Amino acid sequence: MIFVIDDDAIMAECIKDAIYGDAELFSNAIDAMNRIADGIIPDLIFLDILLDGPDGFTFLNELVSYSDTANIPVIIVSSIDFSNQDLSNYGVVGYLNKDTMTPDDIKGFVNEYCKQRY
Amino acid sequence: MDKEVDGILVVAHELKAPLAVLRQLAFSLGDLNLKDERSRSQMISVSERAIKQVNDLIKIRRLEDGLFEMEPVSVREVCDAVSRELQYLFRYNNRDLFIKYSNRARLVTANRELLYSVIYNFLLNAMHYSGDETRAELIVKDYRNKVKVVVRDYGPTLPIDVWKEMRRGWVEKPLSIAMRPGSSGLGLFIASNFARFMNAKIGAVRHRDGTSFFIELPISKQASLF
Repeated sequence: MIFVIDDDAIMAECIKDAIYGDAELFSNAIDAMNRIADGIIPDLIFLDILLDGPDGFTFLNELVSYSDTANIPVIIVSSIDFSNQDLSNYGVVGYLNKDTMTPDDIKGFVNEYCKQRY
Repeated sequence: MDKEVDGILVVAHELKAPLAVLRQLAFSLGDLNLKDERSRSQMISVSERAIKQVNDLIKIRRLEDGLFEMEPVSVREVCDAVSRELQYLFRYNNRDLFIKYSNRARLVTANRELLYSVIYNFLLNAMHYSGDETRAELIVKDYRNKVKVVVRDYGPTLPIDVWKEMRRGWVEKPLSIAMRPGSSGLGLFIASNFARFMNAKIGAVRHRDGTSFFIELPISKQASLF
């Protein structure tokens, strides 16, 4: 299972299309955290940073606070350039720039980080 | 900052997200036949150019934030990169791009990202205004103690009032260039702001059969390793 967290529903759908597999969409960080609290631990998370309500960094902070979620790989998907920042302590394993990313970039991360190949 | 200009920059910021979504939607259209595939490529290409222009406008607002450092930059490398990026577009529109480097000083003091945008905007403009089967020219040469990058097009001559405004070295706000249909002067406004930030000078030369836009950049005192 892959989580896509983006408050832009169309962008989230586009990412889901590129994943071509089992993905769940969330428009805010709280719903995604609640899902995880229900016991659904994703293999990979595509996370937007500027979200309605708690932002992506708040979500990352929550993830690393619990041992069962601390190691979930997260891909930041944003129009802000984070590529020069090291957020590996927050489980961030990759960055996608919304202005330049392609479906192949998304698939590449899915193939690299998901236990189940999609 | 001028209120009108500030308004334009705010609008640009708001356009960024929808443009990125449009680009992604084009990607997600699935398998297409040859004709539709061509349309998809055009949609992606148009969105990417719009995103680039919007990003440039946003950068104008952030020039004073200390994000754009001045450093020694190889002009030829930047020109090569820009012409590579626009090559497809030139070919697609049946335009040739002639490139000539005669500069001996290789490094200038500039910000690579901003210089890239200036040359990109000049070249895009030249492609837009040059007629079918004509060419645009990208020329880099030494000029006194500076390096001059010139982009020549074979389109309508730049109106005299715009030329006069450019003589002082920058453009205050986007202006409609009446004799150059379809232009808002936005690219010129962007180039002007970036050049000013880099202590460079932009200008234009009016020809009977077109216009040359140029940027003059201070030579870097650092020895070139190229």
